[in-house]
Amino acid sequence: MSAFLGTVNPGFVLVVIGLIGLVVPVQRVRQGLMIIAPLIGMFMLANAQQDTNLMTAQALGIDLILYRVDNLNFIFGLAFLIAALLNAIYAMHTDDRLQDGMAMAYAGAAVAAAFAGDLMTLFVFWELTAVSSVFLILRAGTRAAYFASMRYLAIQILSGVLLLDGIAYVYKSTNSLTIEAFTSLNEPGAMFIFLAVGIKAAFPFLHNWLQDSYPKATVVGAVVLSAFTTKLAVLTCARLFPGFEILIWIGAVMTIFPVFFAVIENDLRKVLAYSLNNQVGFMICAIGVADLTTEYGRLAMNGAAAHAFAHIIYKALLFMSMGAVLYRTGTAKANELGGLYKSMPFTTVFCLIGAASISAFPLFSGFVAKSLTMSAVAHEGYIIAWLMLLFASAGVLEHSGIKIPYFAFFGHDSGKRVQEAPFNMLLAMGIAAAICILVGLPTFMGLGYGWLYNLLPYPTEANGYQPFTAEHILTQMQLLMLAILAFILLKRFGLYPPEKPGTILDTDWTYRKLGFGFATWASTVWAKAGPAMSRVSATVAGRAFDRIEEAFSPRGQLSRGPLSGGMAIWTAALLGMAMLLSFITVGAAR
Amino acid sequence: MSETKAPERDETGRFVKTDEAPLPLSADEMHPVSKILFGWVSAKATPSIFLWGTILISVALVLIDYGMNRHDYMGFANFNGFYAFWGFGAFAIAVLSGWPLGKLLRRSEDYYGEGDATPKDAAGQGEGE
Repeated sequence: MSAFLGTVNPGFVLVVIGLIGLVVPVQRVRQGLMIIAPLIGMFMLANAQQDTNLMTAQALGIDLILYRVDNLNFIFGLAFLIAALLNAIYAMHTDDRLQDGMAMAYAGAAVAAAFAGDLMTLFVFWELTAVSSVFLILRAGTRAAYFASMRYLAIQILSGVLLLDGIAYVYKSTNSLTIEAFTSLNEPGAMFIFLAVGIKAAFPFLHNWLQDSYPKATVVGAVVLSAFTTKLAVLTCARLFPGFEILIWIGAVMTIFPVFFAVIENDLRKVLAYSLNNQVGFMICAIGVADLTTEYGRLAMNGAAAHAFAHIIYKALLFMSMGAVLYRTGTAKANELGGLYKSMPFTTVFCLIGAASISAFPLFSGFVAKSLTMSAVAHEGYIIAWLMLLFASAGVLEHSGIKIPYFAFFGHDSGKRVQEAPFNMLLAMGIAAAICILVGLPTFMGLGYGWLYNLLPYPTEANGYQPFTAEHILTQMQLLMLAILAFILLKRFGLYPPEKPGTILDTDWTYRKLGFGFATWASTVWAKAGPAMSRVSATVAGRAFDRIEEAFSPRGQLSRGPLSGGMAIWTAALLGMAMLLSFITVGAAR
Repeated sequence: MSETKAPERDETGRFVKTDEAPLPLSADEMHPVSKILFGWVSAKATPSIFLWGTILISVALVLIDYGMNRHDYMGFANFNGFYAFWGFGAFAIAVLSGWPLGKLLRRSEDYYGEGDATPKDAAGQGEGE
């Protein structure tokens, strides 16, 4: 039985159980299924043989590899399954069939795509992630969520269409759809697929769908969304474009720009969305350095994978804590929150653990994960990129390490006294927090960072790296403690910008305001100009007809008087003569 | 003696889940666990202790750097206190940029005319507890 289960893509099981969940009316039965599904998935993954085509099919003469586990996608798939389990537990206080089912189908699609061995299978599940996840935004039930979900769907589908375009070129040139790394963006289809990945990974200027939609999703939906789409894109990027230097700069920019938006953003779930963008930047940068022929290139790939694993857990934890706050207080706006440590102590502790992890404090998961990337970038000599990542590390502390917990749970007391989060939410947060700590500790009894490093794509290189050196701890603590000191001083001297309600403009202004405004203006102008132009053309045509008729009709000017009549007779006579001559000449020629 | 309210049922006779009673906490009260874990937060001396504690730790970290022979891949990063300087500077720049950026980029809450984005499953939005 376990041998059979080891040959089925666990994502398929999650998708099927998710779809079954849509029609199971009994809340506890449905939610039991949602918890069992990722556990089954983990069992299946544990029994899967690596680097073998475990499940294949053929369609339209194309060989499809539906399930293939390798040293890279294993850790992503495992992280997706853990996230699916946490999400299912976190959602237990709600009775929402659509949300439960679609959340699991979405997780399943991401898992299935992660283990896809060919581009067409990847495409199918790439699109399924888009279609299933949109419901998590729609279920928020607001007008804003509706518009955001439509924009989200359009952009995600665009990503899918670009992927399909790229696949067509790849198939035409190689006659194979097996997932293999490109060597250049000039290869047929590479640029299309690169753009498709760029949209889903939220590259700079392609990122707005993320900050637009995630903060408008349901309490549970935002947690679910945070785990899968962008990390699936990171995995795809790692499989197809490792060592592409352009990714170093794209990633470095991705780590920097969200820091500035997060500083002035008031909605704490949107701050987390910007923070997500920033964290994915580290992974993309690592993939750019990951020339797999070199030792440090492989270390960089380890960095991307370790960061993705740690990030999926601590980002989910932070979204869960903000979700709990939103669920209990009805707001996630920094200017309306504060002092919640008095009534939500457990949520506060879990949020602080998530904050410490994402800030990469020693003994937390971010510390052992991010340092792999930083070391690889430094070793390969990318000074500017390294300084940018170091700047972004202080920025992460600002927006996720301090801003989120400080303004929600401490800071100015909002006077809100609410109940602690429901038990299921606390349980999910507790498990996530435990993983953040267990992964971040020195190796002991098979746990600690050694456990994570052994799961990485290149465990030999990973285990050759020591995160807990005096030098590394000292430099990291210098960075973090002096940044905390800066925060305290800026607050003390009133130099920290106050949290104000408002909409912060981002580059989506170009299509949400400028583009929409232009389309509205063009439509208004056309609505007025169209009938006017019709009237003008009708008038001109009518007048022209009148003039022509006046001149040439039987009643017209040219038909009147002896001259016109004579002309007609002469014309008929000349035509008759011409015909006669032609008959004669043709007859003579014969 | 307080009156016990009968559990609510819907028209089919099934029990309806009612809102949980709010925790009886006044503005001056704290969750019992909060008192244990965070009772120190509201103490008067806490901000000063935090400030001076952080300063002391920061100074200590820079001083330790002088006693350590670091071997960073980036030569300039071996300069004593480089990470401290970078952390302080980066944080301050990021935060202080919030003043001009806020003025430049902040618009009204309903700038895009799509209404409030608070989801319906949040408290007080109709479907939350």
